[in-house]
Amino acid sequence: MAIIDFIINSILTQASITIALIAFAGLLLQRKPFGEVMSGSFKTMLGFLVLSAGSSIIVGSLLYFGDIFSEGFGMEGIVPSIEAINGQAMNDLGLANQIALTFLAIFIFNIILARFTKWKYIFLTGQAILWMATMTTVFGSAAGFSGISLIIVGGLVGGFFAVAMPAIAQPIVRKITGTDDIALGHFCTIGYLFAAGISKVAGKNSGSTENIKFPKGLGFLSDTYLSVAFVMVPLYMVTALFAGAEFGSELSGDVNYVVFAFLQAVQFVVGVYVLLSGVRLLLAEIVPAFRGIALKVVPDAKPALDCPVLFPYAPNAVTAGFVTTTIGTVIAMFVLPWFGLAMILPGMLTNFFAGGTAGIFMNAVGGKRGVLIGGIAHGFFITLLPALLVPHFNNLGFINTTATDVDTVAAGLFFEWLIHPIMNLFA
Amino acid sequence: MPLFKRKKKENDSKTEMQQQVKKEHLTEQIENYKTKLQNAESEGVDQIHILNMLGSLYFEIENYDQAIKYYEASIEENKALGKAFTDLIKLYNIKRKEATKENDKEKVQLYLQKSDDLMKLTKDSIRGRI
Repeated sequence: MAIIDFIINSILTQASITIALIAFAGLLLQRKPFGEVMSGSFKTMLGFLVLSAGSSIIVGSLLYFGDIFSEGFGMEGIVPSIEAINGQAMNDLGLANQIALTFLAIFIFNIILARFTKWKYIFLTGQAILWMATMTTVFGSAAGFSGISLIIVGGLVGGFFAVAMPAIAQPIVRKITGTDDIALGHFCTIGYLFAAGISKVAGKNSGSTENIKFPKGLGFLSDTYLSVAFVMVPLYMVTALFAGAEFGSELSGDVNYVVFAFLQAVQFVVGVYVLLSGVRLLLAEIVPAFRGIALKVVPDAKPALDCPVLFPYAPNAVTAGFVTTTIGTVIAMFVLPWFGLAMILPGMLTNFFAGGTAGIFMNAVGGKRGVLIGGIAHGFFITLLPALLVPHFNNLGFINTTATDVDTVAAGLFFEWLIHPIMNLFA
Repeated sequence: MPLFKRKKKENDSKTEMQQQVKKEHLTEQIENYKTKLQNAESEGVDQIHILNMLGSLYFEIENYDQAIKYYEASIEENKALGKAFTDLIKLYNIKRKEATKENDKEKVQLYLQKSDDLMKLTKDSIRGRI
């Protein structure tokens, strides 16, 4: 009995070990050679621990930022980062196992829905599925689900999004690619359709972005992490100045308080970098196996691929969409607090990928003018939706952060506005 | 209505004829471009355009392996985003579908990996443009 107690209380409570065991079982089921089963399980565990380390770095930086921001400006400053949400949910809320199992459940429901409905899409972007699993688990458990029901409800909602989002994007994707064989698998699709709608109205008879000659002066933004730093560093430093030397020095100890702010901003970028490396390790074993199985079970499936699949069709539109979306997010940052919402800082990673892809959608239906007006509206939209979740995230104990990808936000709001009240009726 | 049936048959053979002529024409073009490619090195002519043309012509006559070969060579030389990228993703998906039908697990993973790598390259190229 003592051994069983030890296993249950000391080993299975460790998320890194249980996640490794899930991978172990999955690899065994695929009848992989034993060496691969062992190394795959170990890599999965390593991935989770690297992710946790990245999350701790991000949280440390965000705690500091929250303190100086409320001292300097007398309100909350929220950094949008789905990575930070995932890290905190897995680490600090102890939802790692539920998220890992929901992740698998989304895959399974995706296959079932693709097999038996008209939406023949297999969602191949593993990272996006992980973010979706994070959101359905966080808000599902807040709504009162637990255990197996939490995993099934989260898997069903996530699986629905995995087929529905490629399906609603497909008419425009078909227009862009000229083929119906490939789909888009990126959980920012609601934003793309919103942007395309605005673009259609605003951009009548306007020429394509592909005829514009762009200056190449934005080279420093060419690196994702550099572009995050480009926003974070000035923000942290200016905020520290507003918070003042006295307050800043309390936090920075012997280091000059502005230099400390600079270093903390860089720490945030380091945290995102480490966390994403962990995610890559974590998914490296699971995703290829799933893809093979899914495409076999649904032979006539259309693969839903990550957003860069569309970039070569309209590279200028990507640049233009990134710039106009960023303008929209900056406007929203200043406007939303007037309406009693939190101040959401621009999230450069999302602006680049979601903004760029939205640019292609907008260009396809509304040309240059469409990209300009639609892009600003898109930036506003993808800031507003996460702002609506901030109070809920605060209640759940998240630190100065909110989700980014709007489809995952929509899933969160669906739980919060619809499922949660229904569950309360039965509680 | 036997009369109509005969007409349909005639039409079918007509389109077959047309297909045949088109294929011959495309094959001829391919040979032309291959010659151009051989001379390109010595004459210092832009190879990228020729490689892309070959990829596109082979795609049209449904010789997917050759199409992939020339497009991959084109991207190797020059990472400019365009038809080479967009056609390659389609080609990889076609090859992946074939592999799924043949139940060749390794080939399925190979082409999925190839399209992943191509998207990574796309990201890098886009960043270089900004």
